[in-house]
Amino acid sequence: MAGSAARAGMALRTNIGRPVAFVRKIPWTAASSELREHFAQFGHVRKCTVPFDKETGFHRGMGWIQFSSEEELHNVLQQENHVIDGVKLHVQAQRPKTLQGDQTSDEEKDF
Amino acid sequence: MSALLRPARWLLRAGAAPHLPLSLRLRAGGPGRPHAALCLRAAPVAGGVLSQARLYAIAAEKKNYLQEEPTSSHGRNASQFDWALMRLDNSVRRTGRIPKTLLQKVFDNTCHSGSPGGNQALLLLRSCGSLLPELKLSERTEFAHRIWDELQKLGTVYDVSHYNALLKVYLQNEYKFSPTDFLAKMEKANIQPNRVTYQRLIAAYCNMGDIEGASKILEFMKTKDLPVTEAVFSALVTGHARAGDMENAENILTVMKEAGIEPGPDTYLALLNAYAEKGDIDHVKQTLEKVEMSELYLMDRDLLQIIFSFSKAGYPQYVSEILEKITYERRYIPDTMNLILLLVTEKLEDTAFQILLACPISREDSLNDFGSFFLRHCVTMNTPAEKLKDYCKKLKEAHMHTSPFQFTLQCALLAKKIDLAKALMKALKEEGFPVRTHYFWPLLAGHQKEKNVQGIVEVLKGMHEIEVTPDQETYINYVFPCFDSVKSVRAVLKENGCLHEDNIFSQAELRSEAVNGNLDYILSFLESNTLPFSFASLRGSLILGFRRSMDINLWSKITELLYKDGRYCQEPLGPTEAVGYFLYNLIDSMSDSEVQAKEERLRQYFHQLKEMNVKIPENIYRGIRNLLDSYHVPELIKDVNMLVEREKTDSRKTTQPTSSDLESKLEKLKAENQPIGDVLKQLILLLCTEENMEKALELKAKYESDMVVGGYAALINLCCRHDNAEDALNLKREFDRLDSSAVLDTSKYVRLVRVLGKHGKLQDAINILKEMKEKDVLIKDATVLSFFHILNGAALRGETETVKQLHEAIVTLGLAKPSTTLSSPLVTLYLEKDDLPTALEVTIDCYEKYKILPRIHDVLCKLIEKGETDLIQKAMDFVSQEQGEMTMLYDLFFAFLQTGNYKEAKKIIETPGIRARPTRLQWFCDRCITSNQVETLEKLVELTQKLFECDRDQLYYSLLKLYKVNGDWQKADAVWNKMQEENIIPRGKTLRLLAEILRNSNQEVPFDVPELYEDEKHSLTSSPLPVEDSLQKELLDACHRKKNKDAFNIFLKAQKQNIVFGNETYASLIKLLLMKDNPTQAMHVKNFAETHIKGFTLNDAANSLLIITQVRRDYLKDALTTLKTALDLEQIPSRVAVTRLIQACALKGDTESIQDIQKLVNGLEDSIGLSRMVFINNIALAQIKNNNIDVAIENIENMLTSENQSMELQYFGLAYLYRKVIEEQLEPALEKISIMAERLANQFAIYKPVTDLFLQLVDSGKVNDARALLQRCGAIAEQIPIVLVFCIRNSRRSGKAPTMKSLLELIPELIEKEEAYTSIMKSYVLDSDVASAKALYENLAAKDVKLNDLFLKRYAVLLKKAGESVPFTEPPESFEFYAKQLKDSKEDPL
Repeated sequence: MAGSAARAGMALRTNIGRPVAFVRKIPWTAASSELREHFAQFGHVRKCTVPFDKETGFHRGMGWIQFSSEEELHNVLQQENHVIDGVKLHVQAQRPKTLQGDQTSDEEKDF
Repeated sequence: MSALLRPARWLLRAGAAPHLPLSLRLRAGGPGRPHAALCLRAAPVAGGVLSQARLYAIAAEKKNYLQEEPTSSHGRNASQFDWALMRLDNSVRRTGRIPKTLLQKVFDNTCHSGSPGGNQALLLLRSCGSLLPELKLSERTEFAHRIWDELQKLGTVYDVSHYNALLKVYLQNEYKFSPTDFLAKMEKANIQPNRVTYQRLIAAYCNMGDIEGASKILEFMKTKDLPVTEAVFSALVTGHARAGDMENAENILTVMKEAGIEPGPDTYLALLNAYAEKGDIDHVKQTLEKVEMSELYLMDRDLLQIIFSFSKAGYPQYVSEILEKITYERRYIPDTMNLILLLVTEKLEDTAFQILLACPISREDSLNDFGSFFLRHCVTMNTPAEKLKDYCKKLKEAHMHTSPFQFTLQCALLAKKIDLAKALMKALKEEGFPVRTHYFWPLLAGHQKEKNVQGIVEVLKGMHEIEVTPDQETYINYVFPCFDSVKSVRAVLKENGCLHEDNIFSQAELRSEAVNGNLDYILSFLESNTLPFSFASLRGSLILGFRRSMDINLWSKITELLYKDGRYCQEPLGPTEAVGYFLYNLIDSMSDSEVQAKEERLRQYFHQLKEMNVKIPENIYRGIRNLLDSYHVPELIKDVNMLVEREKTDSRKTTQPTSSDLESKLEKLKAENQPIGDVLKQLILLLCTEENMEKALELKAKYESDMVVGGYAALINLCCRHDNAEDALNLKREFDRLDSSAVLDTSKYVRLVRVLGKHGKLQDAINILKEMKEKDVLIKDATVLSFFHILNGAALRGETETVKQLHEAIVTLGLAKPSTTLSSPLVTLYLEKDDLPTALEVTIDCYEKYKILPRIHDVLCKLIEKGETDLIQKAMDFVSQEQGEMTMLYDLFFAFLQTGNYKEAKKIIETPGIRARPTRLQWFCDRCITSNQVETLEKLVELTQKLFECDRDQLYYSLLKLYKVNGDWQKADAVWNKMQEENIIPRGKTLRLLAEILRNSNQEVPFDVPELYEDEKHSLTSSPLPVEDSLQKELLDACHRKKNKDAFNIFLKAQKQNIVFGNETYASLIKLLLMKDNPTQAMHVKNFAETHIKGFTLNDAANSLLIITQVRRDYLKDALTTLKTALDLEQIPSRVAVTRLIQACALKGDTESIQDIQKLVNGLEDSIGLSRMVFINNIALAQIKNNNIDVAIENIENMLTSENQSMELQYFGLAYLYRKVIEEQLEPALEKISIMAERLANQFAIYKPVTDLFLQLVDSGKVNDARALLQRCGAIAEQIPIVLVFCIRNSRRSGKAPTMKSLLELIPELIEKEEAYTSIMKSYVLDSDVASAKALYENLAAKDVKLNDLFLKRYAVLLKKAGESVPFTEPPESFEFYAKQLKDSKEDPL
C-alpha cells in the first residue's frame, strides 16, 4: 500500500515538468539518432528514445524526445509538418499523468 | 457484415426471393450492372479471377435461416460464425481478396470450436479460389482439400452446396480432375447433383477442351429437362476454343441465338479469352468492337481478365493495347491490384509491373505511396533482386512511391531474406541513401532466436562489406545473447575476421558485464583500459550493475576511479558533476523499499566516497536530498551532504556569500551594535543546507536573543534530520517562547513527531500532534501516509507504547480518520512477535472502536499456519456476527488460499448459497498480482469456476495481468483455451491484454484484436464508490481531461448535496477554470472552498494564474487585489503574472496602479525576476497614454543623464515602450521620443536609446523612417553589439525574415559579423525564405567568408526541403553537433 503510493510518486517525479514530445509513425528506417538530428533544430535534445523490439529487430514506430525547455517543445509543436525519410511524423506533447504534482520540498524557503 | 447481408435482405424485402432459382437470386443482389437481373450470367469460365465478390451471399442467407430457428446449442456456433464471417467479409469488401494468414486463422479457429457447422464449412471452401491471388493455383486447391478433409473428420455434414462450392474452386484454380470420379464421389456420399453441379462439370470438361465429355453431360441435362443457361454456352465457347476449333467456338453464339438466348458479356468474354489465349489480337479487337455495337458493356474487371489471358499464354506484347481501353473506375482498383498480385504469383511480374505503372494514381501527394503491395508480394514470391531494384527505381522515377527501396528492404527483412536484403542495402547505398546500423537488427534478431552463431557471423560480415559498423546496441542486444559469454563472442568474431572496431566492442562488453553486475570485471577494465570513452555512455548500465552486486567496496573503487582518472571525466561536466549526477541517478533508479533495505550499505558507500575525497556539486546534492526525503529515509541525507563540494563556489552563484563571509559580517554588525537578525537567519539557513548542525547550534546559542522564527524552523528540521531529538525539542520550546502563534509547515511537524517518537519522548510527540490540531495545520494525503510510516516503523521495532499512544492521539485528535492502513501497525506489533491471540484481540478491538478490521487476512493466515483452531473459531464467530456469514466465508477462503490449503478453500467456496463478491475477489486478485503469487491466483480462478454470478472474464483478466508481468505467454495462451472451454465470451480488454502478451513474446495472435472505445476506457476503471468519493473522482477526472464545464457542473452538484472535497480537488478545479479563462467560476469555487475549508488558500502558481486570467478579462482591480493577497501570504507570484498586470495598467494609462505595484513588490524584484525596465517602460507608457508625453520623456532623459546612474546603459532597453508607441500609433509621442533619442545620442553620446528605436522601426516595417533616422544619426550603424543582440534574439522567432532582410539592407556592414549572418540565415530558414537565403549565401561566398558548418548545414537543409540542389557538400553531422562545435570554439579561442 505504502509502496504503491510511493511508486506513483516516483512516476510523477520523472514525468512532471519535463518537456517531452511523443512521436508516432516513425518510419522503420529512422532510429533515435535520426530523430535527434531532426529535432535538434528546435532546441537542445536532452534525451531521445525509440525503443526497439528485440524479438523482431524493428522498432514500434514510437519515440520520446525530451527537451531542455518548454519553449523548445513549443517550437516543435508549432511546426506543422515533421518529415523524416519522407514520412510525416505525428508529434504531440507528452502530458504528465496527474495534475496534483505538488511534491516540491518547501524546506527553508518558507516555514 | 452488412455488405454481405445486404443482397439477401434486399431480396427478402422484394418478396419474390423464395421463388427464384438460387443462382438468379445471387445475381440479382449484385450491384454494379443495371441489367444484371435480366441476363443470366452465371459463373465465368476458368480463371475467372475477379468476379466473385458476391460469393458470400449464400452463406449469409443460410445464416438468416439459422437465426430464424435459434436453439441454445446453435447460439454459440452462430456467434462464432458471425465473427469469422465478419473477418472474411471485411477483407473481401476492402480489398477483394483474403490474405492467406487470415483464412488460415479463421480455419484453425473453426476447427477449434469443435463441430463446425455447414455454413462455416461453405464459407471456408468458397474462400479457396480466386480470392487468394497471392497463392499459387495448386496451393489454393490443396488448401481447399485440407479444409474439406479436416472438417469432414470433425463431423461436418456436406450437402450439395459444398460439392458445388468445391467444383467452383476447382474451376477457378484450373484444377485438373475427373468429372466422372467427382460424380461417383457424390453418389457414394448419397448426394444428388443439381443443375449447378452439371453446369460446372460441363465447364470443367470444356476447360480441358473435352467437348465430348461436355456433350454427354449436356445430353443428360436435357433428359432431365434441366434448362440450358448462358453459362453452359459460354463454357462451350471455351471448350471448342481449347479443342482448337475457333470456328465452332464462334458458332456457339449463333446456336445460342437460335435457342432464344442472346449472348451476354459472359459469352463474349469467353470468346475474347479464347482469342487472347491464341495471341490473336486482331480477333480480340474485332470482338471488342462487336460487343460495343451490340450495346453490351464490358467492365474493367473483364478487360483485366483478357490481359491475364494474353500474358499467361505468353503474349505480353498485347497487354498495352487492352490497358488503353480500361477506364480505371475507382471501384475496380482492388480488382486491378488483385490481377497484379496474381500475375506476380504466376511469375509474370513484368506484366504486373506494367499494369501497376498504368494505374492512374494521384502523384501530387508525395506522402501517399502506391505499389507497396506489389513490392511486398514480389519479395514473398522470390522475384530476383535485380528485377526488384529495377522496379524500385522506376517507381521512384514515376513518383508513385517515395521510398520503394526502403519499403522493399523492410519486406525482405521481415521475411528474413538475407541475400535480397543485402542486395537492396547495396542498392540503397548506390542510390545515395544511408544504410543504418539498425537495418541489420531484424536479421540478427532472427539468428539470435535460434542461437545461430554462424548466421550472426554472416550478418556481421555483411555489415562489414557494406561498411556499416556495428554499434554497442548491436552487440549488446543482438550478438551477445547468442553466446555463453562475451569472451567467446570475441574469440569467434576474431576467428572469422569480424572484429574491426575493437573499441566499440570493448565498450559493449563493458556495458554488458556492468548490467550483469560483474563489477570485478568493470574495475579491472577501467584500470587497464587505454581507449577514451565517456562515462555517460556507461552510466545506465553501471547503475544496473551496482544494484545487482552489493559489494560496496567495488562500488566505491569504481566511483573513485571514474572520479579521479582523467580518462573518464574529460566531458564538459567534469568529475564532480558527472559523479554527482551518477549518484542521483543511482538513487533515483531504486525504489523506496530498495533504498530503505539498503540504507546501511548506502551509508557505508557514501562514507567511503568521503574518505576517497569524492565531491559532488551542491545543486545535485539537493536533488538527492529530495529523493531521500520522498523515500522516507531522511537519515541518509546527512551522509550524502558530506560529499558536497564547498570550497569552489558555483560560478552561477558568485553572489551567494559563504558561511565564513556571513559570520564575519555578523560579528562586524554585532560589534557596531547594528541589528543582526537577517544575517543571522541567512547564516543559519546556510549552515542548515550544509548540514552543519554543530556549528548552527553553536551560533544559535551565541546569538540566542537575535534569533527569529525562520531560523528556528530550519534548525528544528536540521536536528530532526540528524536524529537529534533532544535539541529538536529544546529548539521547539524556544521557538514557542519566541512566538507562540507561529506555525511550522506540515512536514516539519511530522518529522518532529517521528524523531520524538523514535526516542521515546512520547508525551512530547503527542503534544506536537495536539499543536498540529490546534493550529489547524494542513493535513494532506501524504501526511497521513507519513503517520502510517511513523507508526509502522515503531511497530516493526516492537515499540508497543509508541504505536498505541501515537495512534490514539492521531485518531482522537481527528488528524486522520482510522483506516485499515493507519491502524494496521497496532496489529503488526503482535504479528511480528507471533503473539496471535493478542493480534486477533487488537483487530477485534479496532472493529469495536472504529468499525474496521485491520490485517484480518494476515491474522487468519497466521492462525491457519499455526493450526490455532480455537482462535480461528473465535475470529470467525466474530466476523460472522458483525459482518455476516458471507464476509466470514470469504475471509476464510482467502486465508486458506493464501496458505496453500486449497482443499479447505474449495470446501468453503462450494458452500451452498455463497455468491460472487466482485470487490472482494478483485482485492485478492490485486494482492496476488502485486506479490506475484501465480499459483494462488490460478487456484482462485480455478476454484471459483462454479461460483454463482462470478465474473469469469474479470478473473481471467487478472490472471492474464499476472502472466503479463511474468511474460508467460504459454500460460496466457492456455487461458485463452480455458475461456473457450468454459464458454466465456471475453471482453475487449481481455482480448487486448491477451494479444499484447502474445505479441510481446512474438507469438501470433489467433484472433481479431478489438479497438478501444472512449466510453469503454471510461468504464474500465469505474467501480462502486461512495457518492462523495465518486463525485470527487469524477471531478478530478474531468479536470484531468480538461473538461471545465463538466468539472464545474460536478462541483455545483456536490455543492447542492453539501459535499465538501479535499483541498487539492478545489485547487485543481480552480486551476482548470483559470486555464480555460473563466475567472468568475474560479472565484466562485474559491469562495466556497474558503468558507468550507479552514485555511484554504491558493498557492503561488494558482494565484499567478488567477492574476493572468483577471488581466485577460480586464478585471484589473481584482487582479491587483489578488496580487496583494498573494504577497500578504508571502508568496512569490510569477514574473509573467506581474508583468502582464503592469502592462495592462500601462495601456490603460493607470500610472498610479503601476506605482502601487512597484511599492508592493519592492525588494522582491529579483525573486520574481522583474527587471527595473518593466516599471520605467510602463510608467512612461502610462504617462504617454494620459497625454503626459513631456513628463514621460523628461523622466527618462533624467534617468539617463543624471550623475548617479542606478543602471548600466547597455541594460537600459526601451524597446517595449517604442514598440507599444508604434503599435498604438501614438504619432506625436513617437516624434518626441525620436527627438529625445537623437538628442541623447548627439549631445550625450548615449546611443542605446536611438539604436533601440531604430531597430523597433525596422521591426515594425517602418523601413523608411528607420532609414531617415539612420541618415540623421549615422552612429547607429556603429552600435554593432546592440544590433547583434537584436539579431540573435529575433532569429529565435519565426516571421522575422523581412526584418532581418531590411536590417541587412540598411546596415550592409552587418554581413561581416558572424553572429549576424548566422542569425539572419537562421531567420530565413525558419521562414523558408529560400530567395533571401540564396542571396545571403552568394553575397558571403563572393566575399570569400569562411562559413561555419552550422550555417552551411542550415542552408543545405533549407535548399533540400525546397527541392533544390546543394552547391557544396552538406556537413554530414547533426545540427546539435555543429551548434556545440561552434559554441566550444568560441569558449576556447586557442
